[in-house]
Amino acid sequence: MDQQRRNDWILFGSFWAVFSVVGFYLVLGIDLLPAQWAHEAEVVDDAYILLMGLSIPIFAGVAAALLTSLIRFRVKVEGQPTEDGPPVHNNRNFVRLWIASTLMLALMITVNPGFIGIAELRGEPSADIVVEVQAQRWSWKVNYENGAETFNQLYLPADRRVRFDITSLDLVHSFWIPGFRVKIDAVPGRVTHLYVTPEGVGSFEDDFNLRVQCAEICGLGHAQMAMPVTVLEPADFDAWVSDLAEGA
Amino acid sequence: MRQLLRAVIFGILGYLIGAALTWLIRGGSMGDEVCVVFGYILGLIGWLFGIGMGDTWVREWFGLPARKYEVTGWKRYLGFSTDHKVIGVQYLATFIVVLLLGGVAAMIIRFELAQAGEGILNADRYNQVMSMHGILMVAVAVAAILGSFGNYLVPIMIGADDMAFPRLNAVTFWLIPPVAIGLLAAPTLGSFDAGWTAYPPLSVVNNGGQILFVLAVTTFGLSSILGGLNVITTIVTMRAPGMTWGRLPIFVWGAFSASLISLLTTQFFAASLILIAMDRVAGTVFFNGGAGGDPLLYQHLFWFYSHPAVYVMVLPGFGAVLETITHMSRKPLFAYKAVVVSFLSIAGLSVIVWAHHMFTSGMAEYLHGPFMFASEMISVPTGMVFLSAVATLWRGKLWMKTPLFFAMIWIFQFLMGGVTGIFLADVVTDVSLHDSYFVVAHFHYTIMGGMLFAFLTGIFFWFPKITGRMINDRLGIIFALWLTIAFQLTFLPQFWLGTNGMNRRIADYPEQLEGANLMSSISAFILGSSFILFVYILLSGAIRGPKAGGNPWNASTLEWQVSSPPPEHNFSGQPTVVGHPYGYGTAGSRHAEFADVTVAAAPPEQPGTDQGGDHE
Repeated sequence: MDQQRRNDWILFGSFWAVFSVVGFYLVLGIDLLPAQWAHEAEVVDDAYILLMGLSIPIFAGVAAALLTSLIRFRVKVEGQPTEDGPPVHNNRNFVRLWIASTLMLALMITVNPGFIGIAELRGEPSADIVVEVQAQRWSWKVNYENGAETFNQLYLPADRRVRFDITSLDLVHSFWIPGFRVKIDAVPGRVTHLYVTPEGVGSFEDDFNLRVQCAEICGLGHAQMAMPVTVLEPADFDAWVSDLAEGA
Repeated sequence: MRQLLRAVIFGILGYLIGAALTWLIRGGSMGDEVCVVFGYILGLIGWLFGIGMGDTWVREWFGLPARKYEVTGWKRYLGFSTDHKVIGVQYLATFIVVLLLGGVAAMIIRFELAQAGEGILNADRYNQVMSMHGILMVAVAVAAILGSFGNYLVPIMIGADDMAFPRLNAVTFWLIPPVAIGLLAAPTLGSFDAGWTAYPPLSVVNNGGQILFVLAVTTFGLSSILGGLNVITTIVTMRAPGMTWGRLPIFVWGAFSASLISLLTTQFFAASLILIAMDRVAGTVFFNGGAGGDPLLYQHLFWFYSHPAVYVMVLPGFGAVLETITHMSRKPLFAYKAVVVSFLSIAGLSVIVWAHHMFTSGMAEYLHGPFMFASEMISVPTGMVFLSAVATLWRGKLWMKTPLFFAMIWIFQFLMGGVTGIFLADVVTDVSLHDSYFVVAHFHYTIMGGMLFAFLTGIFFWFPKITGRMINDRLGIIFALWLTIAFQLTFLPQFWLGTNGMNRRIADYPEQLEGANLMSSISAFILGSSFILFVYILLSGAIRGPKAGGNPWNASTLEWQVSSPPPEHNFSGQPTVVGHPYGYGTAGSRHAEFADVTVAAAPPEQPGTDQGGDHE
């Protein structure tokens, strides 16, 4: 390899290293994700950060190659180009290596955070309490186990595994709690399920992402189709729910 | 002109007859959706008859000779021309206009979203403008590259004198104006507000404008299918002697694989829309969950086309970008065969990944794994395209004119789109990000970054060929940088918005998200205004740019061996292809020979290799 070509690769390597470091700092050093209010949020965020970590060097590599090309291989052309680049049509070994590595990478992320993440996120199909949710243009009705009912308000106990049974009376809506990082559509004629274990006590006043937001366009009131979520201590929740049931 | 006028009159008459007959038979009012449906169908037939099918096919069915009109100059572009180059320019001009219209809608959207709370639009109007923006831009993305460059360049690149079915080609284009009219007329029936995806039950119960959406988009699908059929037949049957499959320019491969997808999957979208029309006007319940139907059925049918459609958008874009990179860096395209295999693999894989749009739809959970796996696999052939692009640049002789700038920026943009796509293909992260602004940012990087930037690359690369003149290169580069920087500042904040609790398709959002939205909006206006410069560059270049000559880039493929613009029927003699299209760096390498004179593929020492000189 002559000096010229070695310098190309050195420049590329330096850009790659710098871009990767800057990328890691920006993405992992700065808190880009909002507060986690559920066990599921941790699973999702871990997957997000893992994918980010894998993406950065790939992204940095291509960006470095582009910048290196721009600096090192640019030619000044007067009128029409007078010289060609080297007649490299292929490099079989490099292509094989590239395909093998992209395939490996794709398989890797399919396994983790793919399949492993799915298993973690779903967990066992068992729950401590069941909450029924009914969506209707443009509001939510919530039924708890003992007959208690709320309208456009969702109360949940911390540290208990909740199963939501969700349906819709009219259109497709989507039940999304950004602070929990999970969503599932509310489909007329079907009941869909979502498992969540809230962590930490808080309410919409503490974090606007503690809300149920409709995420599937449903007409006029779509943006406003949201309800605040309040996570209570389990004991407080039990008291709240039995008060409400008695009042009903 | 006469044809166009006749088409308009027949179209209106057809509409009135169809609507009136339906009204006479069933009563009610002429404005009912049933009347609109039959009016539209007869109107469409009248339009096609008037524009030229009556003069050609219909006369021949009755044993009469086809009627010909001798039109020259700019009037050719307003009539039923069967010249593939005229049709290519018709597509190009039409879709640049549609692009700008969609862009105006985008500006209105960002104006509304600059601040929380209700601004210039109420929620209803917002949904309508957003839906219009969506469908206009999707139409641009599907048809702009394939329609314009596919028509203009594919026949020349393979050494043919026209497309395989020139009349069908004309019909394919003239199906587009009814689509535009249908969509833009929707506000007369209360507009449509279900986004470009038109999920039922919303799209079954909303305002009457939705029926025009259904009719127009189905017509657009018909145009796509016919266009795909024509491109495939042309490439299979019309290649010049010696133009083996291994010698096809890479853009032709891009157009070929995209056309395969168009031809084989568009029917599913049309079918799903027709079922919606039936639910609306005929009282069927295909998508009514309460009556035994299923809203998810639509989503499966819809995405069975609409995910592959993404590759209809970007595969010709891949072709245009790789074509530009290999010519402008004067190096053979790296790993040509592997790229061809990748294009075909993408086309194949594209039809088995659709349900990654449905991880949160409530479909059976056992489907999640396989669709996630198939979706991740697409990164392998796509990765090959990136390798080819970057490795072709490496150690090339980069002539940094506007087209190469755009091609290199395209690599960056589409990589952003590709990498963020992994987050959405992965079930775990998608459960959080689906239907959020992360998705909005992602598909603007893939479709705007991947398709529009490729379209711009192609426009600037082939502008001298089509107009015979050069653009102002300095302005071109300013435009590229202006657009690219504004693009990042517009869409990077939207990734953050998505992870921080902003869902898509909303007129209003929590006020905590105001800062990033304001930044995105201001940048969007800067982005939008760059297109004023774009239009100026094109117009000033076309009117008073310096003459380009036949081969201003000194490139090797066939379209550069004829005059700019190419003569009617493209070649004076039959070209014979004798070698690889990208023989850069190999002394004496030749791509094609002509009957009368031999043309070297790309002899660097001889600038004047064009055949016919400058044509006005």
